[in-house]
Amino acid sequence: MIDRSLRRVLVVLIAGFAVLMVQVSRIQVIQAEDLRNNPDNGRSILRDFNSPRGSIVTADGVVVAVSDELVGSVFDYQRSYPEGDLYAHVAGYYSFNLGATGVEKAYNDWLSGRAAALRLSGLNTLLGGAGEPGTVVLSVRHDLQEQAAELLAGRSGSVVMIEPATGAVLALYSSPTYDPNLLASHDGVAAVTASQELLDAPGNPRRPAAYADRFFPGSSFKIVTAAAALEHPDVGPIDVAPTVEYFAPLASRAIRNSGQRACGGSIDDMIASSCNTGFAQLAAERIGPEAMVEMAENFGFNDNVPLDIAGATAGVFPEDFGEKLRDAEDGNTVGVFADSPVLAQAALGQNNVSASPLQMALVAATVANGGERNSPHVVQEVRRLDGTTAHSVPTDLVNRPIEPETSVALRRAMQIAVEDGTASGLQMAGIEVGAKTGTAQLGQDVVGAHAWVVGFAGKPGFAPDVAFAVHVAADPQFPDSSGSRTAVPIARALLSEFFAES
Amino acid sequence: MAMLSMPGQTGTLRGPRTTELMFLVSAGLLTSGAFALAAMANREGTPAKVLPFLGLVLLLLGSAHVIVRRLAPNAEPTLLPIVGLLNGLGYVMIARLDQNFAARQSVWTLVGLVAFTLTLLVVPSIRRFADYRYLLALAGIVLLLLPLMPFIGVTIRGARIWISLHFFTIQPGEFAKVVLTMFLAGYLVDKRELLTVSTRRFAGVNIPDLRHFAPLLGALGIAILVMVAERDLGSSLLFFTLFVVMMYLATSRVAYVLGGLVSFAIGSAIAYQIFGHVRRRVSAWLFAFDDPNDTGFQVVEASFAMADGGLIGTGIGEGTPTVIPVVTTDMIFAAIGEEFGLIGAAGILVAFLLFIGAGFRVALEASDPFEKLVAGGLTALLGFQVIVIVGGVVRLLPLTGVTLPFVSYGGSSLVANYVILAILIRISDSASRDQDQGGNDLTMHGTL
Repeated sequence: MIDRSLRRVLVVLIAGFAVLMVQVSRIQVIQAEDLRNNPDNGRSILRDFNSPRGSIVTADGVVVAVSDELVGSVFDYQRSYPEGDLYAHVAGYYSFNLGATGVEKAYNDWLSGRAAALRLSGLNTLLGGAGEPGTVVLSVRHDLQEQAAELLAGRSGSVVMIEPATGAVLALYSSPTYDPNLLASHDGVAAVTASQELLDAPGNPRRPAAYADRFFPGSSFKIVTAAAALEHPDVGPIDVAPTVEYFAPLASRAIRNSGQRACGGSIDDMIASSCNTGFAQLAAERIGPEAMVEMAENFGFNDNVPLDIAGATAGVFPEDFGEKLRDAEDGNTVGVFADSPVLAQAALGQNNVSASPLQMALVAATVANGGERNSPHVVQEVRRLDGTTAHSVPTDLVNRPIEPETSVALRRAMQIAVEDGTASGLQMAGIEVGAKTGTAQLGQDVVGAHAWVVGFAGKPGFAPDVAFAVHVAADPQFPDSSGSRTAVPIARALLSEFFAES
Repeated sequence: MAMLSMPGQTGTLRGPRTTELMFLVSAGLLTSGAFALAAMANREGTPAKVLPFLGLVLLLLGSAHVIVRRLAPNAEPTLLPIVGLLNGLGYVMIARLDQNFAARQSVWTLVGLVAFTLTLLVVPSIRRFADYRYLLALAGIVLLLLPLMPFIGVTIRGARIWISLHFFTIQPGEFAKVVLTMFLAGYLVDKRELLTVSTRRFAGVNIPDLRHFAPLLGALGIAILVMVAERDLGSSLLFFTLFVVMMYLATSRVAYVLGGLVSFAIGSAIAYQIFGHVRRRVSAWLFAFDDPNDTGFQVVEASFAMADGGLIGTGIGEGTPTVIPVVTTDMIFAAIGEEFGLIGAAGILVAFLLFIGAGFRVALEASDPFEKLVAGGLTALLGFQVIVIVGGVVRLLPLTGVTLPFVSYGGSSLVANYVILAILIRISDSASRDQDQGGNDLTMHGTL
């Protein structure tokens, strides 16, 4: 009798264990994904701060971010940035209290070892652990980055250098910047205080101006206007009659040239002399709103810049120039629009046009790359601990804004601007340089101007090795700033460094 | 013995102790392997300090085998190796979670083995305890009451179930469970005829003479009251289950089970109304994810941990189980699930099932009804304890603070469970000796 009861109790126990088994399987397998993604689940963050994290190094092997082992702390590792503020806008920071930015955020799966390509190797994975952390190798060069910081010498501004053929970013620096070590501190109060101080600091040092901020591109935008003119089927051979001033249709104020001189002629002439009247007239009377908007957008305006780290802001070009009021007449082949005066100014990179330095560097890179626009990326590859490549960032062709012939014409025009024009400060022995300067006044009554130079450089007869944009922000303390005087010397020094080391 | 009734297995010269030794070596190898993995994963190299203690634990399990060989040579051969595996893996997990606990746990293992040896040594036969059943009842009640005494009783995490002896605390309730199981077995064997025979009918149901229930209900009532006063929900639940199981084992009457379930429902409803901590436990269970940072924190973190483990686990030392509150005791199953995965968690459950199967086999093979009830009752107690704590961890039941037997950190629980193991081994050894003396010598038959 007891035996029968014993067997029944055993059956009840077995049934109980079966139910346990089902529930354990539900939690560990069936619902596991949902539980892991539960917003209240802080384990992945915690795990990351208790695991070794891969380093971030520059293309030339300088360590930018590294995890230091801690003893007797809440966390096993502390992220540190040996180069301080030099790479803050590239590598970003990785903070328990403030989250992550930059490469630290965008390449987190690689740095933490969670990426599939890293999990497939390593003993840990066989035993069910996370993969080994990957070393993220930037395409950014330390020498260029250091030069950029030195050349800007504390002035607000940005330097972007890109390899046109691949989209690899070789330098990406903006000032003011900040020390990510302050934000990565595990001391919550210290990190949050530092964060607040940076937010209150002049110029918002945490914002990477090189790609997250927009400025009037000024005359450097004339590359886009020139491209629109060259590509336009109806424009034909360009030979604008030189004038001192130009009144766009319906305009009450004249557009003038720097130094009150008369200019015009071919695209080469107008790029070299940075001819305001000529490009304004081309845009307002020959290219028209539709083709101008199309070309700007082909170059990526009004769309997010596909940088591999988050935060790249879209360049802006106005999309609507109002109602068409009059049809084409005389020399005007496109008609008159309500905002034709705005179009004339937009063609010069003023009025409502704005772009990040990265955006303008991409314009130059596209011209230098035969009209093909590649996605910019700051990371070149991810390596395993044994040095083999786990992931290599591919060249990603976004689109072809201009035909190869157009790019050849624009390259020639920009080279003439260096040989005999506003960018003559960029002449270098044995190097072919093409560039377009820009000096964008903030307004009639405001002192100071944004100084720009965008361009490319390479060995004669070969495709350019590097495209660049240098932007120095308008500053009332430097009323004489201009593209030629302020930005060109910086670009010149950077190119010297680039070709000296390459 | 079951294994000897199968000629295929008994055609060798392998006796039960050799089988036991082989299983035990496997358990030791598994434990050492897990320890090696933990040592590789641990970046600070701390397990070096606990390595001698691992050696001690393995040595103790080895000596347990020698002791069984000497004192109970014909006992069931799988009980000890399963306990060795559970204790070993639990020890590695504790060492990985908290090295201070690891050192203490190895000392407790030593104490457990001493208790195990003493039980086998001092008690040549369990049967004699049936005569001292009322003394056992008294001992059980005293043990339960100890934590309520002034000066020695201490409250930890809201439950007053510990007594402090300066250097360490013990939980007398763990021992009370064993003693009271033996009281119930003794009383029920004595009275089971009377409890089965109906003397009157009430509302169409045959009811045995209520007088015979008095000591049972008295013991149960005192035990439950004391545990309620100590806020020991887990033990009250377990003791109540044990009571119902023992009644059913002794009488085979389902009516007792139904009656037990009804009174459990009523008791639970009353407890829910009266006690705030009961309500909190229930809402932490049913609405865990509504308040994941406060009341539901413990079980929600346990589920997150187990979800992280997935099928194969993060690997020992690679997870972050230490964020789960009370992870070394109540929640150790979640840590196992995280770092050993579903495979490891299921493995632990299967090990417990094998232990329960072996325990019930001991009960079935015992010739004496008292021994049957003791073996069945203690095994069921251990089995339900696993269901209660694992069920709590995986949100099937409200979480109640009981240990996962042999796995969790906790001295009293470990020592009491080693006493249970000794009792099962003693009963098993007596049973096979009874069979031998009865002329039904399967061992001789099988081996020759």
